[in-house]
Amino acid sequence: MLAMAPLAGAALSACGTSGPGGSSGGGGDGKASWWYLSGDPNETIRKDNIASWNEANADSTIDITFFQNDAYKTKIKTAIGAGQAPTMIYGWGGGTLASYAAAGQVMDLTDWLDQNPDVKNAVLPASYGPATIDGKVYAYPNENASPIIFYYNKRVFEKVGVSAPPTTWDELMSLVDTFNQAGVAPIGLAGQSRWTSMMWLEYLFDRQGGPQVFDAIFKGEADAWSNPDAIAALTLTQDLVKAKGFIQGFESITADSNADQALMYTDKVAMMLHGSWTYAGMKNDGGDFVSGGNLGWFDFPTISGGKGDPKDTCGNPGQYTSISSGASEEAVQVAKDFFAKGIMSEEIVQKFVDSGQVCIAASAADKFAASEDKDFLEYAYGLTANAPVFQQSWDQALSPATAEALLSNIDQLFSLSITPQQFADNMNATLGQ
Amino acid sequence: MATATDSSTRGATTSRSRSSKRPNWVGGLMGWVWLGVIVVPIYWIVITSLKPSSEYFTTNPLLPSASPTFDAYQLVLENDFARYFINSVLVTLGAVVPAVLISFMAAFAIVRGKSRFLRLSSGFLLMGLAVPLQATIIPLYLMIIRLQLYNSLLAVILPSIAFAIPLAVLVLGNFIRDVPNELFESMRLDGTSEWGTAWRLAFPLVRPAIVTVSIYTGLQVWNGFLLPLIFTDRQELRVLPLALWTFQGQYSVNVPAVLAAVVLSTLPIVVFYVIGRRQLVSGLTAGFSK
Amino acid sequence: MATTTGTAPARTGPGAAAPAPGRTSEHRSTKTGSVAWMAIPAVAFFAFFGAVPLVGVFVLSFMQWDGLSPSPTWLGLGNWTSILTDPVMWRAMGLTFGIMIFSWLVQTPISLLLGVFTAGTQKYRAVLAVLYFLPLLMSAAAISIAFKALLDPNFGLAASLGVPWLALNWLGDPTLVLFVVIFVLSWMYVPFHSLLYQGGVQQIPKQMYEAASIDGAGTVRQFFSITLPQLKYTIITSSTLMVVGSMTAFDLIFVLTGGGPGNSTRVLALDMYLRAFRANQMGPGSVIACLIVLIGLGLALFLRRLGGKDANSSQMEGL
Repeated sequence: MLAMAPLAGAALSACGTSGPGGSSGGGGDGKASWWYLSGDPNETIRKDNIASWNEANADSTIDITFFQNDAYKTKIKTAIGAGQAPTMIYGWGGGTLASYAAAGQVMDLTDWLDQNPDVKNAVLPASYGPATIDGKVYAYPNENASPIIFYYNKRVFEKVGVSAPPTTWDELMSLVDTFNQAGVAPIGLAGQSRWTSMMWLEYLFDRQGGPQVFDAIFKGEADAWSNPDAIAALTLTQDLVKAKGFIQGFESITADSNADQALMYTDKVAMMLHGSWTYAGMKNDGGDFVSGGNLGWFDFPTISGGKGDPKDTCGNPGQYTSISSGASEEAVQVAKDFFAKGIMSEEIVQKFVDSGQVCIAASAADKFAASEDKDFLEYAYGLTANAPVFQQSWDQALSPATAEALLSNIDQLFSLSITPQQFADNMNATLGQ
Repeated sequence: MATATDSSTRGATTSRSRSSKRPNWVGGLMGWVWLGVIVVPIYWIVITSLKPSSEYFTTNPLLPSASPTFDAYQLVLENDFARYFINSVLVTLGAVVPAVLISFMAAFAIVRGKSRFLRLSSGFLLMGLAVPLQATIIPLYLMIIRLQLYNSLLAVILPSIAFAIPLAVLVLGNFIRDVPNELFESMRLDGTSEWGTAWRLAFPLVRPAIVTVSIYTGLQVWNGFLLPLIFTDRQELRVLPLALWTFQGQYSVNVPAVLAAVVLSTLPIVVFYVIGRRQLVSGLTAGFSK
Repeated sequence: MATTTGTAPARTGPGAAAPAPGRTSEHRSTKTGSVAWMAIPAVAFFAFFGAVPLVGVFVLSFMQWDGLSPSPTWLGLGNWTSILTDPVMWRAMGLTFGIMIFSWLVQTPISLLLGVFTAGTQKYRAVLAVLYFLPLLMSAAAISIAFKALLDPNFGLAASLGVPWLALNWLGDPTLVLFVVIFVLSWMYVPFHSLLYQGGVQQIPKQMYEAASIDGAGTVRQFFSITLPQLKYTIITSSTLMVVGSMTAFDLIFVLTGGGPGNSTRVLALDMYLRAFRANQMGPGSVIACLIVLIGLGLALFLRRLGGKDANSSQMEGL
C-alpha cells in the first residue's frame, strides 16, 4: 500500500492545472478553447469545422468541448468564476451576458468589430441586439436564429381525422379534447428543462397583451407581473395543463437528450412547440419522419380579444459567442481569427442551411431557396424577418438570479402547485434584480 | 462470558437454533420480499442492457432478448469509459491511501498519548463526524479556486481525504485500544520508539479495521458525485458517476446504452466485493457495532 | 485475526462499559509524550479542508458573491433575512424533515427485521450476502439513473408492460415523486443498515433468549423484551447515520429529479446547490449550508442524548 503513494502522487500532479502560469482561456501559445453544446447536427458540424481549422492552422489550434444544455448553463458560470473559462464562450446574450460583462469576464468587441467591417457585416444587423450591453458589444452573433415554431405531426393528425392545425386558442383547446379521446397525447413537452415550458408563456403573454407586457417586466416596473393580461395568459396556460394538453409525465422529460423530439417522430404526440433547431434534430434522428413530409408547422394561435400582433415571434435571434477577458493574448488572437474566417465560413453557412436551420449570415437568405428544406427554411426565415417584435428568450434576457426564479415558478405553474396570482406575486418580488 | 458468547455466536448455528429461529416468520417473509425488491430492478437493468436498442420499445421488458447483443456496451466503451475508470481509480487510491495512513497515525497518537493537544484533537475530530461534506462546498469552491486547483483530480481528492478522517480515526482508535497494553510495554522495554511500535505492532494487529476503513472510504470516494460535479468540467477529468450522468443526459433515449453504462460503472466494485466479501462484512459489523 | 475480530464486538453493550475505562487508563499511563506529533497531519488536513470551510460557510453567509466576480463583498444580515423569509427555503426544510422521518420509518423496521433474519439463517447466507449488498455498491448516480429509466412513463418498465396502475406519473406527480425518492433511498441504504443490525444481533448473548424461553416468553415477547433493548446502541448508531445521511442526500435526488417537479423534491441540500451554482447567489446558498450544519449537529447531539449516558461514555471514554 505504501509503495503506491509516490506513484499515485506522480500521476496526480500530472493531472491538475498548474500554478500561477495556468490561467484561463486555454493558456499556451496559439491555442484557444471553445465550449459548445452537444447534440446533433451542430455538434458534428462544429467538430468537423474545428478539425479542418486545426489542420489548416497548425499553430493556432482550437480545442472544442461539448456539454449538454442544462449542465452547460451551470458549468460555464463555475468555470468563469474559477478563472477557468474557455477562450470562446457560447451564449445567448441578454441578462447573462450582462452579468459576465459586469464582472469584467468578457471582452468588449465593439472597437474590433468596427475595425473589421467584413466580420461585423457578415451577420444580420438585427442580431446584435442581445449582444449589446450599454452600447458596447460583448459577443459576436453567429450561427442560426431560432424562432419558436409550433410543429405538428401530419401522420397523427391524419390518423385521428383532424384536417388542419388550429388557428385560434379555442380551436387548440378543442383539438386537445379530440386527441385525448383518440388516445394520443396532444402536445409533447420536456417539462423538466423548464425553458421549454417558458416558450408557451412567451407566446401567450404576447398574444394576450402585446409585447408591452414583458417589456414592463424587463424594465423592472413595479408589479409588472400582475398586469391583467399576464394573469390571463397564466390562467390559459393552466387551463391547458388541466385539460391534459401535455403528455403524461411531461414534468420529468428533459430536452437535453432530445427525448421530446423523439415523442414527435415516434408518433406519441400530435403537436409540439419548440425551437427551430429541432427541425434539424428530428431530420437527423427521426428516420424518414421529416424527409417523408410528415412534419408540419403553423403559426401560434391567436387569442380572441388579445392585443398582440399574430406575427410577433419569440426565440433566440442568434447564438452569441464571447471572448473571455482572462484569455491569453495568443488565445484571443486565435479566437478573433476564427471569428473572421472560421465560425461563419461559406462552408459552415452552407452546412447550417443544409441541415434545415435559419442561418443569420447575410449571405444565407439566398441559399434557402436551393435547399431541400426550402419550405421550412423560408417559413422560419419569414417568421424571423417579418416579425414586428422578436422577443428574446426570457431566461436569457433577464438576469441569472431572476431567470432562475422564473424557471422555478414556471415549473410550479405547470405542475399546478401555484396559482397565477401567486406566480405573479413571486415574480414581482424579483423585479429589478 | 464475553468470550464464550463470541465463539458461540460466531460459530455454528445449531447451538443457537432456538434463539435464531424465532423471528424467522416475519423476518423471513420480509427477507424474501426485500430480496425480490432488490433483484427485480437489477435483473431488469442487466437484461435491458443486452437488448438491441430497436427492440427496447417493442419487446416485453421482463423477458431477456432473443438476440442479446453487446452493442450498448460497445457504445459505452467507445465513449472513453476506460479513461473515466482510470480517473476513478486514481481519485479513490489517492484519497484512501493517505486518509487511512494519517488517520491511523492520529488514532494511535490519541489512544497512546497523553497531552492536551491530543485530547482536544480527538474531540475536534469527533465533532467532525457531524459535519456533512455537502454543506461546505461553497467555501470549498472558493478555496479550490484560490489554490488554483480547479479542474484537477486533486480538487476531488483533498476534501475527500479530509472528510474521511473523523470516522477513520474513530474506528481505528477503537481497535487500537483493544491491543493489550502488555504488548506495548514489551515493545517499549525492547527500546522500540513509539513510531516503530505503531507500524510494527499496532498496524498489523488492527488490520481488519484498516481494511474496513479503507473499503468504506474507498466506496464513498469511488461513488462520489458532488465534488467532481463542481470542481471539474473537463471531459478527460470525469470520474465514473459523473461520466454516467453526462452519458445519460446525452443518450437517455437509448435506454440499453444508459443501463450498460450503469452496469459497467458498477462491475469493478462488484468484482472487488465478491473477492473481498468476507473481510468487508466482518470488518463492518465489528467496526460499526462498537 | 479471527481472535481480534472476535474480541472486539464483545466490548459493546451497556455491560461492557466497565472494562473500557480500565484499559484506557492503562494505555494512558505509559510514557508517550512523543506521539502527539503523529496526529498533526490528520488534524491539519481536517482543519484545513473541513473546519476552515465550515467557518467559511458561516462567514460567506454574510457576504455577497455571484461566483463570477473575483471576490465576495460584505453584505451583513441581508442574506439571512431574505432566506428566513423565503417560503421556498421553509418548504425545503419541511421536505427535508419529511423525507428524513419517513425514510427512518421505512428503513429502520425493514433493516431491523432483515438484520435479525440474516443473523439467523445460514443456508443461503453467501448468496444473500452478495445480492443484498449490491445496492450499496452502486453509486447514487447509477441507482438514480437506472430507476429514472425504469419509471419513465413513456419508455420505462411500466409503460412497456402496459399495466396502467403501474404506469403512473412516478416522477412527474408532486406527491408520488416523494414516495419514489423515499423508496429509492431505502433501496440504496437498507442493505447497509441491515448489516449493522445483523452485527448487533449477533452479539446478543443467547443465554438471554434461553432464559426467557424457560420462563415461558414467546417469540414476539422475546423480540420486544430482549432483542430490541439489546440493540439500543445499534439503533442509535444506525438512526444517526440514517438521519444525517438522508438530510444530506444530494446525489440521489439531484440525478433522479433535479429538485422537481416544481419544488416538490427540492430539499435543503439541493436548494443550496441551486441557489449557489445556478442562480449565482453564493451568499444565500451559504445561509442554507449553515442551516444544514446546525440541524445536523443538533440532530446528532439529540440522538446521542437519547442514547443515554452509557452510549456516550463508551465512545468518549476510549478517546
